[in-house]
Amino acid sequence: MIKLRPNDPGGLYPPYFCVLKSPNSFRSGLAMMHTPFRTLLALLLPLAFAGCGPDEEVEPTPMPPTTTGTLRIKVVPEWEGGAFAMNSVYTNVSDYRVKVEAIKFYLGDVRVLNGSSETMVKDIAFFNLGEGRDTLLATVPAGTWTGLRIGLGVPQELNDADPIVYPSGHPLDLANAMYWTWSQAYRFLIFDGRYDLDAGGTDPPAEPFSMHTGLNECYMEFDLDLGTGVTITAGNTTTLTVHLAVDHFFYSGTETLDLATENQTHGTNLPLALELSNNAAQSFSVE
Amino acid sequence: MKNVLHTALVCTLLIVGCRKDPAIPMPQTDAPFPLQLPAGAPFPEVPDDNPLTVASVQLGKALFFDPRLSRDGTVSCASCHHPDRAFSDTVALSVGIDQQTGGRNAPSLANVAYHPYFFRDGGVSTLERQVIAPVQDPLEMDHSLELAAAAVSGDVEYEQLSRSAYGRPMDEFVVTRAIANYERTLISGWSRFDRYFYQNDGTALTDAEVRGWDLFRSAALNCTVCHNGFDLSDHSFQNIGQYLDYADPGRERISLDPLDNGKFKVPTLRNIALTGPYMHDGSIPTLDGVIDHFASGGLPHPNRSPLLPNFALNADQKADLIAFLNALTDERSIDQVP
Repeated sequence: MIKLRPNDPGGLYPPYFCVLKSPNSFRSGLAMMHTPFRTLLALLLPLAFAGCGPDEEVEPTPMPPTTTGTLRIKVVPEWEGGAFAMNSVYTNVSDYRVKVEAIKFYLGDVRVLNGSSETMVKDIAFFNLGEGRDTLLATVPAGTWTGLRIGLGVPQELNDADPIVYPSGHPLDLANAMYWTWSQAYRFLIFDGRYDLDAGGTDPPAEPFSMHTGLNECYMEFDLDLGTGVTITAGNTTTLTVHLAVDHFFYSGTETLDLATENQTHGTNLPLALELSNNAAQSFSVE
Repeated sequence: MKNVLHTALVCTLLIVGCRKDPAIPMPQTDAPFPLQLPAGAPFPEVPDDNPLTVASVQLGKALFFDPRLSRDGTVSCASCHHPDRAFSDTVALSVGIDQQTGGRNAPSLANVAYHPYFFRDGGVSTLERQVIAPVQDPLEMDHSLELAAAAVSGDVEYEQLSRSAYGRPMDEFVVTRAIANYERTLISGWSRFDRYFYQNDGTALTDAEVRGWDLFRSAALNCTVCHNGFDLSDHSFQNIGQYLDYADPGRERISLDPLDNGKFKVPTLRNIALTGPYMHDGSIPTLDGVIDHFASGGLPHPNRSPLLPNFALNADQKADLIAFLNALTDERSIDQVP
């Protein structure tokens, strides 16, 4: 804990110091010492305090604005409106048995809408549903918001930026293993698992599918209607559940993504990447 | 006395506790790296956040040869980019961690300071970002950059160089910047051909080599349409008709344009005698075989470059052409870091 110490009287103390004792008790302890030790201390203390370095200065934390609240968006995966679990076997729209092993994605440029007004509230968030990373926190102006506008993927400005600069824990941190090093761009959606064309099969699905979208072409923006609106009050957190229909990843309208022939995309199979991106963007909903 | 000792102990703890790492020496003064350039070569562009300094380059070299950047500590950059091979590999496809084989032939790093993009498909735009790929590629070092940086952080020499060059301890930023800067110093431009062509030393090449040079730049062979300029490459992407159906889509992987299928970046021909086997997949082991390929004009892939003529060479002409290519080998090491 570093604190600013104002009104240093004697020049012995540097303006910043590591607080182990209160200034007064520290000074009284000094007075009790014999002269040689006081001299030694006088020589050593500046060195000690200098070691703390200016990089440890902490600006006073500004008071949080009182006109915003927190919107907590929790994404809940579902299958045909019911519960969904990774590594469980479901039957998809093509009547194939499907086991999903990984769903990871970015949501970017999240905006709250009200009539013609829209406000960007989150630049980027990372979701890894298999590991419980399913929530986005955004600081939102107080008020009632009737819609959300969200991008599935990483907005181009962020996608093109240097990936080294992000601290540990940041959505774009390389440690999330979403970065395509060969094309210096992020994957937007990872959808991996196994399938079995035999609807009556009893063995675990064995054929792998691995569909990774990315590249700026696959960035898909979608809107969510919040009905009469979600109200954000200053200083409070409001939770919004967003449903993700994983079964919808395999169809859009009357078009189906046929795993028998469409099961791999890693940058080059753009038509399949676009199809999956479009399907997935339509899979989000709010009740 | 007890209080005095207590206070002295507190002081000692203060001194030790406030230092970030007592084992790390204070940084030394850094200085611009004295990059040696061949006559007429421009100073390469360097990013604003990565000045080319002595400390950054020294650190980059140490990291380049350091296998701790790989997951199991067995593979370094130099494992596939050998200094005595103009920083290329001797095998068609390099062997990475757990004896896994990579997907493409490791190219020479000569003159990468002048390249507008990297990898054979041009997918990465800076040397700094290029560094991330081999570290994280499961077939190469199979590490995360974060863990790789952690594996070498705390090394006293590295930490001192890092703080001198970048004013910060070893981390991912420093690893990418330092290695990129070392690679920038791998300048090639001291071959006998350079003396002949750029310094007008007519005695630098033998008669056979001069005949080979004349063939190389002849309209019949048309080599210089792509292999031109200081780096003997225009860095364009070309399909040279190696296959009718490419297992590796090449530039198409980046551009997503089917017209780029089978196109790869034109490589430098500097030190070409040292950098075999050749082509993006290392499928042609010798220069003799490369010349045979180009003489045939390649296979009729739809994207095959229209710049490729068929030509015929007799044995003497072929020997002359190979002699010329051998004259493109640097006469000194391209590594300028002691």
